[in-house]
Amino acid sequence: MPALTRAARTAALALLISTPLSAQWLNHPSAGIPRTADGKPDLAAPVPRTSDGKPELAGLWRPSPGLTGDIARNLKPGDVPFQPWAETLYKQRRANNSKDDPTANCIVGGVPRSDLVGYPFKILQVPGMVVILYEAVHAYRQIFTDGRTLPENPQPTWFGYSVGHWEGDTLVVETAGFNDKGWLDNAGKPATDQLHVTERFVRKDFGNIDIQITIDDPKAYTRPWSVTQPLAFQADTELLEYICNENNKYFELVHDFGK
Amino acid sequence: MRTHWSRMVASAAAAVLMVAAPASAQWRGIRSNGPRLPDGKLNLEAPAPRTPDGKPDLSGVWLTRGIYIGDIAKDLKEPVPMQPWAAELYKHRRDTESREDPTGWCVVGGVPRSTAVPYPFKIINSTGMVVMLYEAVHSYRQIFTDGREIPKDANPQWFGYSVGKWEGDTFVAVSTGFNDNVWLDNFGHPAGESLRVTERFRRKDFGHLDVEVTIDDPKTYTKPWTVTLPLVYQPDSELIEYMCTENNKDVPHLVGK
Repeated sequence: MPALTRAARTAALALLISTPLSAQWLNHPSAGIPRTADGKPDLAAPVPRTSDGKPELAGLWRPSPGLTGDIARNLKPGDVPFQPWAETLYKQRRANNSKDDPTANCIVGGVPRSDLVGYPFKILQVPGMVVILYEAVHAYRQIFTDGRTLPENPQPTWFGYSVGHWEGDTLVVETAGFNDKGWLDNAGKPATDQLHVTERFVRKDFGNIDIQITIDDPKAYTRPWSVTQPLAFQADTELLEYICNENNKYFELVHDFGK
Repeated sequence: MRTHWSRMVASAAAAVLMVAAPASAQWRGIRSNGPRLPDGKLNLEAPAPRTPDGKPDLSGVWLTRGIYIGDIAKDLKEPVPMQPWAAELYKHRRDTESREDPTGWCVVGGVPRSTAVPYPFKIINSTGMVVMLYEAVHSYRQIFTDGREIPKDANPQWFGYSVGKWEGDTFVAVSTGFNDNVWLDNFGHPAGESLRVTERFRRKDFGHLDVEVTIDDPKTYTKPWTVTLPLVYQPDSELIEYMCTENNKDVPHLVGK
């Protein structure tokens, strides 16, 4: 995640292309997944369910590309209802090519940015929790599903504090308690400690989840706004160990394009 | 680790921080499931809980008791059987006050160092794997329990590649596939690509989990050696978000001699 902008992004993509994940894990076919006659994963198969009848979200997923750079890419211009100060800050970040992006320093992307990155993540469903293991920066996130409510005055964090519950077949995750340093995307849309994110995880079929993301941050935006991030199931592969602080070159590269 | 634990000043400062902000104060309303004493405290001497398949349940928030992070071999009766080059490198690291410690740059501690650090971690039982969520550096580790074998030519990693299985009531995790940069502790006991770590997890009662760690690295040590890291259950507590590279002050302070 060292700020996937320009040179760094190109380098990262080149790396991904030159070492396909599947080549690393030849001997790890995903067990127990539906397959078509030719042995390929049947991504159109029905939604698998856990013993309590809820959709199973567990598995290795990868965000479909598109929103990493600009979370509002599919919205119309003007649909992001910035407060004036937030728009000014956003324009500054665009003008200097995101050179102050916290993820350049190997800090986690937080929520919802970690939903959008170009690296896979693994969802686990265990008693009382949904856990997300991110390849990006080798970080994790806990979503408590044991019925607890959001704490009233939590320690401000990058990932915030997340609780989840089911509404029919949709896992609804509410997250608050952020610090005021998070960026919503590479382009640098701001967020504050007033940020409240709602994520609705909808598994559409075996191979696809949509996350409907609502940003509610009255300090930075005049009203809530929503986007959808599709995820694609990643069969027969595994997470790689991404240790961002090992030989991080961002601060050398940043001189090439930061203004 | 953001605070370099081999240095007395840092340790003292961190100890003060831990005392000043006890974890329980952060998590009003977090209540662990488990047997309680009449005074409401969790009964750490109660029998070990078990999962539906009858195995001891390792899940929970755990923290090492005792200070093993400096010298993981401090309880060994005999000297650590280092190969000559390893002894030389270890002496260099001691002489330079561990200034090249990779965790000073917020890199993960790996195995077994991440078990020995003075930060709690959460063990999770999931389908086909046991997962560790470490407070330290906000990182995680997967131990696959689905019967797979360790890949023959695994991508070298800081955490290696771990598989686990039950032997009676003991959970045995074996890890290989490490890179050549790993330190076993703050003092800098070396390890290399031939490192093979065997961890035997024994939940002795509700509150106590011993991890017996065997280091087998023929390139670095003349024979395997074994230490035990005692873990204590952390009641009514949660992990705190530890973002190491946010304002990391270690690099300028790791000046050595």
